[in-house]
Amino acid sequence: MLTEASGEHLLEVQSVPALANRAVEPTAPPGRFQTLAVAHATARKAVRSGVILGLVVGLYVLVQAFSYTSTYKTSAERAKLASTLTSGGLSPLVGPARQVQTVAGYTAWKCLMALTIIGAIWGLLTATKLLRGEEDSGRWELMLAGLTTRRRAALQAVLGLGAGWGALLAVASAITVAVGRASAISISAPSMLFFSLSVASSAAMFLGIGALTSQLAASRRQAAALAAAALGVSFALRMAGDSSPALGWLRWASPLGWVEELRPLTSPQPLALGLIAAFSLSLLAGSVYLAGVRDLAASVLPAKPGSRPRTALLSGPVGLAMRLTRATTLAWLVGIATMAWLLGSETKVAVKALQDSSSVQKALSRLSGTSGQAKVYLGLSFVIVALLISLLAIGHLTAARKEESSGRLDHLLVAPISRSVWLASRLLLACAVVTMAGVMAGVVAWLGTGHGHDGIGLSSMADGGLNTAPPAICLIGFGALAIGFVPRWTSLVLYGVLAWSFLVELVGGLGLTSHWLLDTSVLHHMRAAPALAPNWTSGVAMIAVALTAGALGIAAFGRRDLAGD
Amino acid sequence: MTTAAIRTSGLTKRYGHVEVLKDLDLEVTEGEVLGYLGPNGAGKTTTIRLMLGLIGPTRGRAEIFGLDSHRQTVDAHRRLTYVPGEASLWPSLTGFETLHLLGRVRGEVDLPYRDELIGRFDLDPSKKVRAYSKGNRQKVVLIAGLMARPDLLILDEPTSGLDPLMEQAFRHCIHEAKERGQTVFLSSHILSEVEALCDRVGILRAGELVDIGTLADLRHLSALTVEATFDGSVPDLTRIPGVSAVEVEGRVVRCQVAGDVEPLLKVLAFSGVHELLSREPSLEELFLSHYGAGSGDEGVPSDAH
Ligand SMILES: Nc1ncnc2c1ncn2[C@@H]1O[C@H](COP(=O)(O)OP(=O)(O)OP(=O)(O)O)[C@@H](O)[C@H]1O
Ligand SMILES: [Mg+2]
Repeated sequence: MLTEASGEHLLEVQSVPALANRAVEPTAPPGRFQTLAVAHATARKAVRSGVILGLVVGLYVLVQAFSYTSTYKTSAERAKLASTLTSGGLSPLVGPARQVQTVAGYTAWKCLMALTIIGAIWGLLTATKLLRGEEDSGRWELMLAGLTTRRRAALQAVLGLGAGWGALLAVASAITVAVGRASAISISAPSMLFFSLSVASSAAMFLGIGALTSQLAASRRQAAALAAAALGVSFALRMAGDSSPALGWLRWASPLGWVEELRPLTSPQPLALGLIAAFSLSLLAGSVYLAGVRDLAASVLPAKPGSRPRTALLSGPVGLAMRLTRATTLAWLVGIATMAWLLGSETKVAVKALQDSSSVQKALSRLSGTSGQAKVYLGLSFVIVALLISLLAIGHLTAARKEESSGRLDHLLVAPISRSVWLASRLLLACAVVTMAGVMAGVVAWLGTGHGHDGIGLSSMADGGLNTAPPAICLIGFGALAIGFVPRWTSLVLYGVLAWSFLVELVGGLGLTSHWLLDTSVLHHMRAAPALAPNWTSGVAMIAVALTAGALGIAAFGRRDLAGD
Repeated sequence: MTTAAIRTSGLTKRYGHVEVLKDLDLEVTEGEVLGYLGPNGAGKTTTIRLMLGLIGPTRGRAEIFGLDSHRQTVDAHRRLTYVPGEASLWPSLTGFETLHLLGRVRGEVDLPYRDELIGRFDLDPSKKVRAYSKGNRQKVVLIAGLMARPDLLILDEPTSGLDPLMEQAFRHCIHEAKERGQTVFLSSHILSEVEALCDRVGILRAGELVDIGTLADLRHLSALTVEATFDGSVPDLTRIPGVSAVEVEGRVVRCQVAGDVEPLLKVLAFSGVHELLSREPSLEELFLSHYGAGSGDEGVPSDAH
């Protein structure tokens, strides 16, 4: 009996190749899902991040519109603000202020440039990740398996990106239209739709730019860097264009300038939309074309052939981590420094603008005492820097987790390196980087104010910057816990904690919440330094929480099975 | 008692309700080359990851040179290197940088030997890992494993993706390692490789070690292949005890006999056999008979003998 069974299996083994052949025979048409596998996979990821960006756009508009109506209540205050902002010299940074005596004008002025840039960054990161990143990781090869050509795969991916863009537009429109319906705001639905479309149009152009650089570059990182350079040039051109009326034509040389020329909410000029659409579509079409010309995983630009080996850092896990994260970290530091410099250089005008509101004026003088209102402004706006630094921390932790899930960590852990040493060193590196970033942000903001406007000292700004590190270090502790106990959820946990904290801060900023709720935000425990002396007690408490969480996480990581995705 | 290079006792791993490795008792003596075979999903990689302490056992223990691989992991790792079958490396490092890194974290490296290996495997170490083909990536991990000349080499399908020439180079390296007294644990699907290199072979099926011994032992214990050509009609051999894998081609019948051959001979004697051949099974037949019965997760408790 039993031997008969094994005989049958022998036959089965022999028939396997025949079956396999049948499966790939073209006579049986491949399932629809299989033919559109790349489009599906890309769309799934693009839609997810598009929805998140749509939420960010909607929330940002909501917060700005409502804080305007609650801060500047009378038309006299609004008129005063308008004259401050129009003469304030901020337009090179954030674009010209038009009709800021209305909610619509202020919202457009306050939100459009910021969201345009965020949209552009989303576009270039999403396109390079889903086109080049997926290709580099070899996932396309698996999905394609000879069923479709490279050009068709790229076309599918571009369609997937389009789905993500649609999700962004839909979510942003839904929220902004709802905001516009509020009686205090009262902006018509078509105006809000056009505003959302304007923000989304920059995302569309940079999806196109990212798609193109994904074909030109030799790796995802290089593709993202090229696209980011395009964004930088575009921003610089627009900035020059807004710096003096004589240079206004320069705006037409910059995609960001085109978005500005749409003038949503004030004096809409849909004409530039045609330019934007043509630009985006030709970039996408060009990238699909190039995808068919080049080889899978190859580049159009000549790839840098293997360079001279640089082994200085490659002697252990810490050095390796530094080597692997240094480019991204540097990019983040540049971004954080830019933000800090902007905040610093905005201070003068921003403080003046705030003084136009009598309610703010009262609150400010109560808060600031002798230390000056500029400090208060900087202290409050440094929440943004804290947010960026927290994102940098999360980046380091998800990178560490990625080492494990990709299986690369196996190579280190089968050497005589203990797991706790590895994780602890990654965590410490992250802590060092965020501390450095905080101090740097403070110093750069100080430089931005023009070396100490309104009696702001360098050391107090450095303190203020340092003060942004504890929330990030606290997040690093939570990250260690996640890596130790729920590794597959690491990035979800971290982004969740940060998003929650930021939301609580936003809601708290509107004065809508209880102390209990505020306490759950890691950002809330940071004090508004340099206005108030940094609250080192709460800083120390956060670091103690981080140390405990870190120790628990490391212990759990030492005990559990290594886990893939 | 000398310490074995690898000893596992009652080593068990359960995922959810499935025991993917069941009470494995295995001993690999120092200087031995052990082949570890089994169908896909049998639990070979799981065994190796347990021995490396990358995952922890549900029950039982694994020792490397007497050191518990779950509790004294770091010390155990001083004496071994591991070559996975699917190399996931850092795409931004070059081959050379990767070898440098893996050498430094390991501790001591025989640098001249490393360079010799790079030559033997014909690897261009100046390229970035992302630019390597699968086979070239595999060469990097293989060289990294061999260059340290560890006391114990743990290899999990180390030659997947290598061309025949490189396969040859690999065999040469393992022969050398054996001559130097290094111990090798080789999990593989390439039977000729196992046949050429291994002193002993263990066969795993559905998480259980179904057989272990020298190739000669295994051959001896398992079925004989019999080929008979008949003058007239072909009799039904499938009902004879011990006979399996019956194939009929015209008047020629091929089958395998395990254990006592007499019942078969009796039937043949009365059926007008024109020609009779018998031989020991090829390695492939040997493994197919082991793999075939209940491969995968069903765990049909049957054996060929
Ligand atoms: N993390 C896990 N969770 C659940 N099941 C797992 C996990 N890892 C492995 N398995 C299961 O354990 C069994 C043994 O897997 P293992 O990778 O050890 O097989 P293998 O013998 O190495 O196979 P192959 O020849 O294909 O490499 C498989 O059924 C697999 O699905
Ligand atoms: Mg395996």
